[in-house]
Amino acid sequence: MIDQQKQSRLKRNRKHTPWQMSMRYILLCLGLLIMVIPMVYMVSSSLKPNDIAFSYPIRLIPTAQEATLSNYDYVLHQKNFFTYVGNTLIVATATTVFSAALSSMLAYCISRFRFPGRNLLYSIIITTMLIPGLAMLVPQFELAVTFKLVNNLWGVILFYTAWVTPFSTFLIKGFIDNIPRELDEAIYMDGGTVFTIYRRVMLRMASPSIAAVSVFNFLFAFEEVGWSQTILKKDELRTLPVAITQFFQAHNRTDWGYVFAMTCLAMIPVILIYVLLQRYFISGLSSGAVKG
Amino acid sequence: MSTRFSRAKSFFKRKDNIRMLALLFPGLAVIGLFTFYPIIKMFVMSFFDWKIGYQQVSQFAGLMNYAAVFSDKAAGIAIANTFYYMLLTVPLQMIIGLLVALMINGIRRFTVTFRLMYYLPVITSWVVVALLFRNIFSNQGLLNYFLMDVLHVTNDPIGWLSTRWPALTATSLLGIWKGIGWNMVIFLAALQAIPGEYYEAASIDGLNRRQQFFRITLPNIKGTILFSLVMLIIGAFNTYTPIMVMTGGNPAHQTEVVLTWLYYQTFSVSGKMGYAAALSFLVTAIISVLAVLLFKVFSPQKEERKS
Repeated sequence: MIDQQKQSRLKRNRKHTPWQMSMRYILLCLGLLIMVIPMVYMVSSSLKPNDIAFSYPIRLIPTAQEATLSNYDYVLHQKNFFTYVGNTLIVATATTVFSAALSSMLAYCISRFRFPGRNLLYSIIITTMLIPGLAMLVPQFELAVTFKLVNNLWGVILFYTAWVTPFSTFLIKGFIDNIPRELDEAIYMDGGTVFTIYRRVMLRMASPSIAAVSVFNFLFAFEEVGWSQTILKKDELRTLPVAITQFFQAHNRTDWGYVFAMTCLAMIPVILIYVLLQRYFISGLSSGAVKG
Repeated sequence: MSTRFSRAKSFFKRKDNIRMLALLFPGLAVIGLFTFYPIIKMFVMSFFDWKIGYQQVSQFAGLMNYAAVFSDKAAGIAIANTFYYMLLTVPLQMIIGLLVALMINGIRRFTVTFRLMYYLPVITSWVVVALLFRNIFSNQGLLNYFLMDVLHVTNDPIGWLSTRWPALTATSLLGIWKGIGWNMVIFLAALQAIPGEYYEAASIDGLNRRQQFFRITLPNIKGTILFSLVMLIIGAFNTYTPIMVMTGGNPAHQTEVVLTWLYYQTFSVSGKMGYAAALSFLVTAIISVLAVLLFKVFSPQKEERKS
């Protein structure tokens, strides 16, 4: 009863005039236009033949006579296009899986155990978060040469994993800190070990945060350019983002129809993941962020 | 020392601790080998005239590399450009992101649709959006078309990407455009975590909407603002792809940022490894100082909230 009163009062207080409401919708829609127009432009350019892509007046939506799939046809018949896609998917998936495993284990240990060097380890993890991966280009390249990781997809996977694991650990640890310890203790009492707790409690309870960092790690590995172009020099080993920049340069930087067809194709996996997993994009990120 | 040793000894007695080490080890090994070791190595390299390859002797150079960085005009330009990008993108994407979050928080219908659409640029690859913006800002691009044929502001196309500041501004606009959605999402989550009672109490006390924003909303999302600031500053120093794709550092290295300049110095010219290492280390120092400063500025408030 009291709750209901409270609720209705709350609603009354937070109620806004219709004018304010419509202002918000109008502003949001205007902002949305700015967000979406470049994307629409990209898709429509990919559907236009190269020679008229730049002809004036620029039309956002191509007319029925103009529209063609020839750009896509051309791109899909590029020699290694599906190899690039395959490489990128392998790299992104492996990075995601490895970093999810490593960071959840690290986060669990740091959050739950007091062992010598724990604080040092955590501060190292925080520090490495601050340093741009590419800033360590030279020593990492030397390392890659030593381990014969040049022209090897592992060279990309291992370094990506090492780059993203600190931040993933940081986010997952924040999440695990909020899981009640009573659950651990209950399993412990039942004769479970550290492993059991990790499997039954951590992987299950912390799964929203693990899913969230995994989504971000996947996207990172899917789009990284600098390291990938350094270490994968053979054409059949290239990842898609590097292949796109090479393709752009190879086409005299003018055949935008082809380029945009390629970028549109590159967006398909990302959009698919986004649509399927979108609640993890939001929930996991915010759980770490709100805590600060 | 001895207490520490005995503590370590008792630590290894229990079987569970060994199990814990098994969980700890893989992550430690990967971070240690591929991130931590290179950081140390980078620091060492920055004091040498480093050579890569067999049979090469690297000579100790003392502070020569640092002196080279400080006296190098191009490195100064790259650092200044990075700061320009940071100062433009970080506040603007935060403020716009927060405004969008406030508006989405204040409407009833289509919230999910707006959230999804505003987030779309965030998930799109940097290469893709950088190419897109390169096209939009090119001489015959969408922007010049608007300025010339729709708004009639100028008669000649503006070469956005061929001079330093306009090119950097165009890149920054890309950064802002791509970052708004990210900020919107984390601010929206923070706004929704504020208990409605606070606003109720405030309006009983007669606070108007603006006062409510400054006295309730802002203090309650302080942690999120700090998080966003730190992440965005790190992100700004991580900028590589947009510059590489949109300008390639041209004209004449006027639009290089730290990472593109580093990359160029390492691989394109004579392989100035020591110089690149010194610059890397300086950048790391700058980011660390900024991060520590931010935590100093924000932390007293945070303690207050916790207690």
